[in-house]
Amino acid sequence: MTTATTFGFRDVPEEERQRLVNGVFASVAERYDLMNDLMSGGLHRLWKDDFVSMIDTPRDGRPFRLIDVAGGTGDVAMRFVKSAGSGADATICDISPEMLAVGKRRVAEAGLDERITCVEGNAETLPFADKSFDAYTIAFGIRNVTHIETALAEAMRVLKIGGRLLVLEFSHVDVPMLDRLYDFHSFEVIPRLGKLAAGDADSYRYLVESIRKFPKQDAFAGMIRGAGFERVSFRNLTGGVAAIHSGWKI
Amino acid sequence: MTSSSERLEATVDPKLLEILVCPLTKGPLEFDAAKQELISRSAKLAYPIRDGIPIMLPEEARKID
Repeated sequence: MTTATTFGFRDVPEEERQRLVNGVFASVAERYDLMNDLMSGGLHRLWKDDFVSMIDTPRDGRPFRLIDVAGGTGDVAMRFVKSAGSGADATICDISPEMLAVGKRRVAEAGLDERITCVEGNAETLPFADKSFDAYTIAFGIRNVTHIETALAEAMRVLKIGGRLLVLEFSHVDVPMLDRLYDFHSFEVIPRLGKLAAGDADSYRYLVESIRKFPKQDAFAGMIRGAGFERVSFRNLTGGVAAIHSGWKI
Repeated sequence: MTSSSERLEATVDPKLLEILVCPLTKGPLEFDAAKQELISRSAKLAYPIRDGIPIMLPEEARKID
């Protein structure tokens, strides 16, 4: 039976959604950084620095293993291994071969291939053994997953006891005036910029709409608790344009 | 994605092999270095490795007996 889900503001059959989302990322992979710059006004770089600093990594050479899901282009994984001790390594898992190809190339160029590995996989069916990782990150990825609860359950499974989940995602602005400005930027400016910069207004429109469809901060925190995480909290960035959610496997 | 690399030395990091499992059954995988495949006996699937990246998606895997 077909279950309806959403692709941006369109209703699409559930099995169709992942294919559509993959199409968006295949078309933007090479310009993904540019896209994030457009969508966040350059702020995503600061948000990612902030995000990565929340991973409590050992400063000494003790082993520490991160999984960065939907981290195709290597942004988070590279920031992480550069700032962490020598025992820290990262695995990037992404469903998009185009995004991973960009990431693998960048990792090699940065000379980090000894510490960062790439796997093509689905966040809802991770190809990793139980309790494999010390931390699980997903930055601007969870809203593109068809079944968020399933992805959170998989995060829970692959984390070690004491491991931490960290989610960076566009969220919901809670500051008066800023919300109206942000609406205008999202629906009028971004698709036009996307068309000018990448010749692809539709992909950018999807990205904007998917942000609005994503649950609000409290609701998403509830979903994380629902997956069994404890000490769940969130922190808004730039008035809620983005938020970092955190939970622990205890 | 098609014409990425000419290199043949692509291998999978041993530390990664330790933790990889079949995404469907979460069962163990056998690494076939010659064919560059990860074999899941429990799911009867062989997952390809392309340019050193294991492709752990059942829809991309080869069915085996």
